[in-house]
Amino acid sequence: MAPRNAAASSSKPSVSTRPALNGHAGPSRAAPSKTRKRAVDEVSVEDDEDGFGAGGSGIDMSDDEEMESVDDAEDDEEDFPEFDSELEDGEEEGVPEADDEEEEDSDDEEVDEDDEESGSESGYNSSDIDALYESSNTSAPTSPSSSHKNLTTDEKLSKMIAKNSTKPDEAVGTDAKISKAKEGEGRMVKSKLVEGGYKREYEDYEAGYGSESSTEDNPNTVGNIPMEWYDDLPHIGYDVNGRKIFRPAQGDELDKFLANVEDPGAWTSAEDKMLQQQVQLTDKELDIIRRLERAEIPDVDYDPYQPTIEWFTGEGNERVMPLSAAPEPKSRFVPSKWEHQKIMKIVKAIREGRITPNKPSAAKPNVYAIWSDADQANAPHAMYMPAPQLPPPKTIESYNPPEEYVPTEEERAEWEALDKEDRKTDFLPAKYDALRLVPGYKNLVQEKFERCLDLYLAPRTRRVKLNIDPESLIPKLPAPKELKPFPIACSVQYRHPGDTRVRAVSTSPDGQWVASGSEDGVVRLWDLGNGREVWRWDLHCGAIQFVEWSPYKEESLLVALVEGKVAVLSPLALVAPNVAAATLTHVNTAFASSAATTKMGAGKDVKGVEAIKWVRPAERERERGVLVYVEVPGTPKQVSWHRKGDYFATVATEASNKSVLIHQLSRHATQSPFRKTPGQVQRVAFHPSKPHFFAATQRYIRLYDLAGQKLLKTLQSGVKWISSLDVHPGGDNLIVGSYDKKLAWFDMDLSTKPYKTLRYHNRALRSVAYHPTLPLFASSSDDGTIHIFHCTIYTDLMQNPLIVPLKILRGHKVTDGIGVLDIRWVPGKPWLVSSGADGEVRLWCS
Amino acid sequence: MAKIKRRGESGAAKNYVTRNQALKKLQISLSDFRRLCILKGIYPREPLNKKRANKGSSAPASFYYHKDIQYLLHEPLLVKFREHKTFAKKLARALGRGEWALAKNLEDAKPVARLDHLVKERYPTFTLALQDLQDPLNLVHLFSTLPTNPIPGKTLVPSEIIAECSRLISEWKVWAIRTHSLRKVFLGIKGVYYECDVPGQGGEMVRVRWLEGYEFQQYVPTDVDFRILLTFLDLYRTLVSFVLFKLYTEENLVYPPPLDVELDEQGESVGAFRLVERKAGAEGADGTGQVSKKAVRKAIKGIKASGIDADVEMDEDAEVDEEKDEDEDFVERPSKAQEVEDVAPAPLTTYNSLLATSSTPSTSRQSLLFSPYTFYLSRETSSRTWEFVIRALGGKVVTSLTAPSPDNASNADSITHVIVDRPMTAESMREMEAGRKWVWIQPQWVADCVNRQKIISAEGYHPGQLLPPHLSPWDGEGDVYRPWLEDQEKAAIEAADEAAENDEAEQDALDESEDESGSESESESASYPPALLASARDPTNATLLHAAELEAETNGTSHTTFRTQLKAATKANASKVTAPAPAKGEEDLRRIMMSNKKSKLYEKMQYSNRLKAEEKEKLEAKREAIEKKKRKGLKV
Repeated sequence: MAPRNAAASSSKPSVSTRPALNGHAGPSRAAPSKTRKRAVDEVSVEDDEDGFGAGGSGIDMSDDEEMESVDDAEDDEEDFPEFDSELEDGEEEGVPEADDEEEEDSDDEEVDEDDEESGSESGYNSSDIDALYESSNTSAPTSPSSSHKNLTTDEKLSKMIAKNSTKPDEAVGTDAKISKAKEGEGRMVKSKLVEGGYKREYEDYEAGYGSESSTEDNPNTVGNIPMEWYDDLPHIGYDVNGRKIFRPAQGDELDKFLANVEDPGAWTSAEDKMLQQQVQLTDKELDIIRRLERAEIPDVDYDPYQPTIEWFTGEGNERVMPLSAAPEPKSRFVPSKWEHQKIMKIVKAIREGRITPNKPSAAKPNVYAIWSDADQANAPHAMYMPAPQLPPPKTIESYNPPEEYVPTEEERAEWEALDKEDRKTDFLPAKYDALRLVPGYKNLVQEKFERCLDLYLAPRTRRVKLNIDPESLIPKLPAPKELKPFPIACSVQYRHPGDTRVRAVSTSPDGQWVASGSEDGVVRLWDLGNGREVWRWDLHCGAIQFVEWSPYKEESLLVALVEGKVAVLSPLALVAPNVAAATLTHVNTAFASSAATTKMGAGKDVKGVEAIKWVRPAERERERGVLVYVEVPGTPKQVSWHRKGDYFATVATEASNKSVLIHQLSRHATQSPFRKTPGQVQRVAFHPSKPHFFAATQRYIRLYDLAGQKLLKTLQSGVKWISSLDVHPGGDNLIVGSYDKKLAWFDMDLSTKPYKTLRYHNRALRSVAYHPTLPLFASSSDDGTIHIFHCTIYTDLMQNPLIVPLKILRGHKVTDGIGVLDIRWVPGKPWLVSSGADGEVRLWCS
Repeated sequence: MAKIKRRGESGAAKNYVTRNQALKKLQISLSDFRRLCILKGIYPREPLNKKRANKGSSAPASFYYHKDIQYLLHEPLLVKFREHKTFAKKLARALGRGEWALAKNLEDAKPVARLDHLVKERYPTFTLALQDLQDPLNLVHLFSTLPTNPIPGKTLVPSEIIAECSRLISEWKVWAIRTHSLRKVFLGIKGVYYECDVPGQGGEMVRVRWLEGYEFQQYVPTDVDFRILLTFLDLYRTLVSFVLFKLYTEENLVYPPPLDVELDEQGESVGAFRLVERKAGAEGADGTGQVSKKAVRKAIKGIKASGIDADVEMDEDAEVDEEKDEDEDFVERPSKAQEVEDVAPAPLTTYNSLLATSSTPSTSRQSLLFSPYTFYLSRETSSRTWEFVIRALGGKVVTSLTAPSPDNASNADSITHVIVDRPMTAESMREMEAGRKWVWIQPQWVADCVNRQKIISAEGYHPGQLLPPHLSPWDGEGDVYRPWLEDQEKAAIEAADEAAENDEAEQDALDESEDESGSESESESASYPPALLASARDPTNATLLHAAELEAETNGTSHTTFRTQLKAATKANASKVTAPAPAKGEEDLRRIMMSNKKSKLYEKMQYSNRLKAEEKEKLEAKREAIEKKKRKGLKV
């Protein structure tokens, strides 16, 4: 309460001094030096006293004294009645006695006074600028404080003069010594020590916490501790001076009870733990308790619904608050000279006619000669793509087209059913009898719009439009007519009974006979020319897999493959005696040297070759021309003769490392050339002139040197599954047929990849064959056709082989998806023998 | 070591930018970008590898050539667009504040984008501009017939634009009439196609074709974005006006043809319009129709409202006309002020004279197709089309507006052809003719004459008759099936019976047949003349057929017998042709040796050829069926 009062009172002098200031403006400036010196003195003294006073008050001041000083202050306040404004007086009169009320009022006053101050400032004129200046200067250091609170007018005046007479710079210097904050607080009291000096006396500081009663009434200084600590002691704490406070006497329970009964105030008292005694609660405290019980605001005086006080809003409360006090610059109200000059210049020019207002600018003519004969087109650029022109209208667009252009009902329906983009024309052709009957075209705007969209929105690309004759793409090849002779038509058919599949066919080296091996297990020998069956070997061992004549002309030997066996046959009765004799000696010499049954290892340390037996057939069979059986593992599928007719190689795909075997007739010896086969070997072939050996696996063809026993080359066929292989008699080229319909021609001098891969059969290729002497080759397929090709291989290495398709031979029927199984050329003639799944062997002649 | 190539720094990634990237780079809105693209002729591209061009992303995007966008950065139009944007803001602000004076000032100083530089940039030479004139002319023609408010409440095509379009068109047509450069006319479903020969740079002739819709109110679908069309039209108007300037200047004419002073003096343009219309309506007689109505207004002044019909005048005395020609010197590019002064007193530099005369010595009037004839246009025929066509080919025109019927015309005696498009009885025709010799024709006759460049017989073109089919003059330019040619040629031959020509043709035919028949002359076909045999051997060859027909004519065989003979010969030939069919097999064999790529290409070509052949066969079959039906109908 006290400081607030002080604050309220402090503001009063600040207002009240102003008239005095105004009045004394002259003299205060007139005698600065003396007062200034005093002020400095005063400050220094003040400082000293400050420290002393503070120390003293800390120890000595009792509550009572403090209260007194506050009273003093109040007294002081009452000492200045002459400065109070009437308004304030009036208010004070109307104010109730309560302290809180007083506080509020003082706040109000403060603000009101501030208002007055600011009001006077806002309404300044030049005459009171000086006063303003001074007041603003003085107010800066003093205003936050309530320094003038208890000063006499003289003191204040002298202080102010001292302030104003110091230069700001110097003041800064002094400030270093004197704390302004300190200066602003407290009140100046005449010093008792220094004559004529003042000392600053500070008012007691109101901490603002704890109730007054707690600090006032509690003499016990033990603090906030559990009082049961003192239960065993005779005293209950210490007073300020450190003397024990003894436990007040307490009666027993009966006494208490009696006291309760007797004392009417017992109901409204509570025990003070600190002092161990009953304390009577005041009415105020009781009221607070009552309010708390009722969940009301404990403070009686607090009004939660105060009416808002409109300080700044509403009629008459408007404030003008300049952001800066700086005077308005001149330029704001004096017109610019330079602008005026400029305008006058323009005016003059207009008067003289140099400037014409609103004159249209000298525009270019709308059209002019933009092109001349010297124009050059831009150099062509790859990225420049002019828009394509619309095609000219065709007759179909005519209003009166020939009748065939008029769509029928179906065509009309079809056109209408199509999407707009898919239609061939964007209109339906129609025929009108006369021009006057033609209606307006509904889509004209839409079409032009779409054209515009195309022009700016459609991506453009350059498409090469091939304007060539498709026939020019077909390679220039000699006509088949010029490449005659080649087989053209079927002349002889060799029919097998029961339509059994004829898996293999072979022609004798002298071109006299055809041997065929069918699935009924019979090898048949046919007269090539007249198609008569002249001999047959019934092997009783399941299907004949393969039949091959020995190419050696001096002998007449035939190898047929059945399951687990290789049979060497010869039509001894049909051939010339000397040939028969040569054949027999060739085959039988080895029997003479060994037992009837020979087991051949022939010194080779190949495992499993022991299982291969050369067996001499029974007498009866020998008479029929079965000369030797070679018992081999697995089912041999193909046999390939060496050109000299002594060796032949067989392939039995499933017989793992013994799948490829090379047999020697003269010694009845069998070797397995590969310790480990490189995949499933499909076909093998001897090189026609060199000691080389081809072995075709599913995808690769490997060329081995038999003499050197090493791999020479691996040809990559590029096909998925090789079905057949043939080597050109020259030895440098070979053809490979595959189950995936392709035929690959390898030029071994050229590359390990095919020189040409041709795909012309519709089904898997079954067999390919070069003609032994003529430039011809043929391929047969499951589609039932045989393709005859011409192939010229030039001695010039730079020239690629010429391959010319000559003829497609059709005649074999496709049964169960299998067509022509095997083909062979007739040696020395442009004739072809083919065998098919339809149980026929055919001879195709030129 | 070679420099390391980093990803996205060369090739497609560098060459192409997506549209969004372009927008970001140019800092303009999509609509501004669209306008810029339309005006500058920038179009999206299709990169070979989209993913590579899109920096690895396969999201759909439209790509532009990077350099196109780079050039756009320096485009003056872009600056104009920005200026316009600020202008629009200022104007909106002024209007919003109700500052009308300021708004008016702003409106007066409105930034206008000029497109001249674009015309020169896009078409560096005049020839290039002419080559690309088809789209501009089409669009300008379309807009000239558009209603002002095509979609009610949505788009508004300013009436000035429509007026300008029709002015440009009439100027273009006036030029074509004057230079007699019209070459082809085709009456299609969509409208009338015209083709002109226009001299380009260095006199090189460029063919310009355009389409003019029929005279109906255009139907405008709601999903047409007129902003796009108008942007295109902006460019096209500019282009056409520059082209016209060049053409007029080369003809020694003033461009734009000055306005009629009298009409101009009358004040408001609207009033002038109305006046002209009325005047044209009165004199309209001469059937200038819409085209010339506006053209008159624009054309060189001199038409007096007294209603002198220059055309009629000219028709009456061609000699006088000729004399006038010498007087009618078109003002040779004087300054504007001068021209107005000069032109005013000049008595006869009228639009009509301009239409009727040609100052170019190369195309003298005598050499023109219709120069000896005068046509009467009946009221149901479109004078806009036919007056233009006939005049462009040197003919004179009398329209139904001057005379409601040909016998009412003041110069009825000079009329040679009457174009009628409605059925008429022979009596009424004879009545009207009253002893004069008029050729009564339907309008298609004119177009057919123009396309064939000679006067064909009017037989079959008389009013009410079923017309012969109207064929496109551009159909022969590709190799298209032209079964009608036989009929056409026949008609042509009948029209022009020149013995000498016949002899020559016969000789040719004989030579040809000798060449072709060669070794395979058959004994049984000896009864047929050689040209017929040749034709039978190659039934698609029109020239052979023509020769055969000529031959038949000279031999005196009737057409029907000729046709049966031809058919029999063709049949016999066909059976012979089928015999060596296996020859085809050989070709197949050779195809085995083709590389994969080539064989695929070959397949494709064969496929498209087959489609064409199928279409052709279908048409032929249809035609045959129709003919058979007709014959049956005749027999019954």
